[in-house]
Amino acid sequence: MTDTSGSVLAASALRKEYGKGAALVRAVDDVSLEVAQGESVAIVGPSGCGKSTLLYLLGGLERPTAGTLQLAQRQLEQMPEAGLARLRRRALGFVFQAFHLVDELNALENVELPALLAGASPRKARERATDLLEQVGLEDRAEHLPSALSGGQRQRVAIARALANGPAVVLADEPTGNLDSAATTDVLRLFEQLHADGQTLVVVTHDERIAATADRLITMRDGRFVDETKLTGGTQRTVTEIAGLDG
Amino acid sequence: MPQPSELRDTEPLNGYQLRVVREVLLALLAAEPSHGYQLRARLALALGPLAGALNDGQVYVTLNRLEKAGLVASERVGQADKPDRRVYELTPAGRHQVTDWLEDTSWPKPAPAEFHLKLVAAAAAGLADPVGIVNQQRRALLVGLAQAQRAALAEPDASVAALLLEGVVLRLQADLRWLEACARYWNKAKERR
Amino acid sequence: MGRLLLTWRLAIRDIKRRRVQAALLLLMIVTTTTTLTIGLALHKVTDSPFARTRAATMGPDIVAELGPTPGASRDVARQFAPLLRAPGVAATDGPYPIGFARLTTRHIGVLAETEGRDAAPAVIDRPALTAGRWVSPGGAVIERGFADALGLHVGNRIDLNGRAFRVAGIAVSTAQCFYPVSSPGLVWLTRGDTEALASSAQPLGYILNLKLDDPSSAESFENGNAGTAFYNAGSNDTKPSLSSWQDIQRQDFKVISVDQKVLLIVSTLLALLAIASIAVVVGSRMAEQTRRVGLLKAVGGTPLLVAAVLLAENLLLALAATAVGVAIGQLVAPVLTNLGNGLLGSPPTPPVTVTSVAEVVIVAILVAACATVVPAIRGARTSTIRALNDPAHPPRRRPWLISMSAWLPVALLLGVRLVARRVRRSLLTAASMTIAVMMVVAALTLEHSDEVRNRAAVIGTTTVAGRVTHLVFLLSAILIVLAALNAIFTTWATVIDAQRPTALARALGATPRQITAGLATAQLMPGVLAACLGIPLGLALYGVAGGHVEQASPPLLWLAAVIPGTLIAVAVLTAIPARIGARRPVADVLRSD
Repeated sequence: MTDTSGSVLAASALRKEYGKGAALVRAVDDVSLEVAQGESVAIVGPSGCGKSTLLYLLGGLERPTAGTLQLAQRQLEQMPEAGLARLRRRALGFVFQAFHLVDELNALENVELPALLAGASPRKARERATDLLEQVGLEDRAEHLPSALSGGQRQRVAIARALANGPAVVLADEPTGNLDSAATTDVLRLFEQLHADGQTLVVVTHDERIAATADRLITMRDGRFVDETKLTGGTQRTVTEIAGLDG
Repeated sequence: MPQPSELRDTEPLNGYQLRVVREVLLALLAAEPSHGYQLRARLALALGPLAGALNDGQVYVTLNRLEKAGLVASERVGQADKPDRRVYELTPAGRHQVTDWLEDTSWPKPAPAEFHLKLVAAAAAGLADPVGIVNQQRRALLVGLAQAQRAALAEPDASVAALLLEGVVLRLQADLRWLEACARYWNKAKERR
Repeated sequence: MGRLLLTWRLAIRDIKRRRVQAALLLLMIVTTTTTLTIGLALHKVTDSPFARTRAATMGPDIVAELGPTPGASRDVARQFAPLLRAPGVAATDGPYPIGFARLTTRHIGVLAETEGRDAAPAVIDRPALTAGRWVSPGGAVIERGFADALGLHVGNRIDLNGRAFRVAGIAVSTAQCFYPVSSPGLVWLTRGDTEALASSAQPLGYILNLKLDDPSSAESFENGNAGTAFYNAGSNDTKPSLSSWQDIQRQDFKVISVDQKVLLIVSTLLALLAIASIAVVVGSRMAEQTRRVGLLKAVGGTPLLVAAVLLAENLLLALAATAVGVAIGQLVAPVLTNLGNGLLGSPPTPPVTVTSVAEVVIVAILVAACATVVPAIRGARTSTIRALNDPAHPPRRRPWLISMSAWLPVALLLGVRLVARRVRRSLLTAASMTIAVMMVVAALTLEHSDEVRNRAAVIGTTTVAGRVTHLVFLLSAILIVLAALNAIFTTWATVIDAQRPTALARALGATPRQITAGLATAQLMPGVLAACLGIPLGLALYGVAGGHVEQASPPLLWLAAVIPGTLIAVAVLTAIPARIGARRPVADVLRSD
């Protein structure tokens, strides 16, 4: 058994099945993953390969059929729903493809929500929310409702919200799935910045550009991990070489 | 009037970029006459991190050739002890060349023929698994994309070079998408056998 | 034809997709249609019972009675002769012998009046049997009120003047007031049995039933002594005493009026509350329809097709519910109407007539039409995109509520924000709950009403008063069951509506307990409103239904208990679906978007 004490997130032989008998579907099939502190991992794969399901499992939003899961030194498989909720509040930030912002709250109120749910004082929550909005570059949009924000801005608010309680891990499910190219660049920048600040990230995406911000890129197919590539460290070619302009 | 293609044929081809340097220099001179070093500086600015592709002497060599072809005229200016202080300007023939180039819509070949043929050959000869080759290539491209993207993001906001780097990134992304398709195809081909 | 089929298929598919909601809706409508059916049936019972009985039994316009006194039987024919010849008399029937006898049952011995009849039905005054068969030798038919008071049923054994008789049947008639208005109570026997029971101590008398040309002149016939005018002043003959049907009715009415009132109140309550419930159901249904309209339009539906699909859906549900409701009403109503009939001394009326079914069906169709019209019109007017994107109405923003709620503990925070995002729905919920509270308050008021207590005072016999309280209790129970179902429906609908925001809250770290508490809080706020409004409104409704609120005095303790009772009920009824919902994996809800 590998020593997982240094890792923030450790999953072993995770499995998630739906249906029964002939209609059995293995969305996630024997997946093991270890994410170290400050590491950024991207999971890519064709649609339907189970990567979103995997992310929900990692975040405790779904229960695995089999396997173990450890987050911030706590075992998740047997934890009751209330415990999972508390752990989520403390150690996890989630970014959804559909943003899932609350329509009737403005950007600031959306960002402070996790802090309020964790029991922080409204003043502290408000302060932290303001800081986070500044961090994502939306301090001038603090009073805007989601309907008044573009897709990219909404996702950035969602990212700020995910950071509200200073989580150990941020899980992102297709964060640019609903965004156009320009908005994707904004979110890209943000992820690079988060990574540079030492935030542990697990991102599920089919956009290679987002995947390229990670340290490690894992390819998933039919519920299994089939490939892993290190994107940082190792020999670096020059950009000119990559661009093919070196003659 | 010498056609752009004729000019190209007289040079040993060394990558795509080499052809363009001639046209770019002509175009840059269309605004106003410039020194050689000024032209080089502007090229470097436009290329940003990829300016390394330009080697030092290239600009001057090209300007020389353009002069010989009658598209550019030069005039020595000022101090005799600084031999590279020539001012170059466009001739009417050169101007005509620029117009043609600007209207030219030819595009670098989109067909990744070499890699495609590599896979076909590997499969035919039974020397290697095409899927393996694809995955290998994919990994290399991913690492490259990551790097190019980092370089692009590192550029200041209004940088025009960032645009070029974004182009690198997006084309690598497109290539990766195609590699996905290759993997699917060659996987199925394996199953069929 | 194809379009009809399409309409049908779309409507069915819609219903299948939201099974739980459709089932709840169906349940709600079924209970309201049942209530409406019962209410209407009861109402009919209260509708001039005397006139119905009179018509059904060919009641006499004038009853002429001779004796019983010694010597009355001597020359009956002659004594009645002038009446037979009197002007305005259309027909006569009788004379029939009457007498007194001591009636003993297992528990009680009491004086009874006997009347001898033929086996064949009479021309005038044909008592309507509510149970059993007509007189036969040894078989007695007891007047209904009398039978109830004595607790007699068909087949029981009784003694008349020591002779054994069997209770052959129970009947009502308007030839005399019902027991205990007319005392002693009446027993019909064969002529032979009646004469056999007579003795010198209890001689026979005679009775003659008259029908007049103009029934409305019966009173003047009686008052004007028109009959006795035919008798020679100096004659020694005993003059028969006359009673007009109006007389009898008036006396009956003293008691009937009370019963009528009770039944009328109850039936009106049921009908009003049923209609109010339907209105709330329709209101909540309308809110969901807008998005459906948008979808239909987006796939190319013309406004007509859209309206057709909505109508088909609503009609399906409404008619299905009506059918079930009427069926249940058919089963339940007879119990209540029989009680009612007995109270009013009228013959059994078929509880659910074709007209009442038609009435309920019409209401159902109107409801379906109303529930269709508004969203269809709105859908036709708004753009398709807006209808698609707007879930009914987008949640409104209330800044002060939001900033205020930040200071509250998590459960209250969630509750307040849940209410704030859909104020209209919360108000609808409050309306629904208010109706439920009104039902409970009305039931309480009825139980303790003076009307009910008055009746006991008027009659003075506990058995009959017992039947009234029986009826009242049953009806109160129905009201309370309705109230509970109402509450379940609204809370469940709210929980379903709040699925997305609560799933998000859970993803962000709210525990199931906090979610449940939040939902309960969200429901408690309209609950408090409902409790406070429901009490005065319930009393007012009782007044509108015909009761006297000032005279009724439900114990203040009971009324005071309504408020905490309501709140506890709301909390519990919310906690159950909330808890069930909290078990559903968050991913399911968020992914289905």
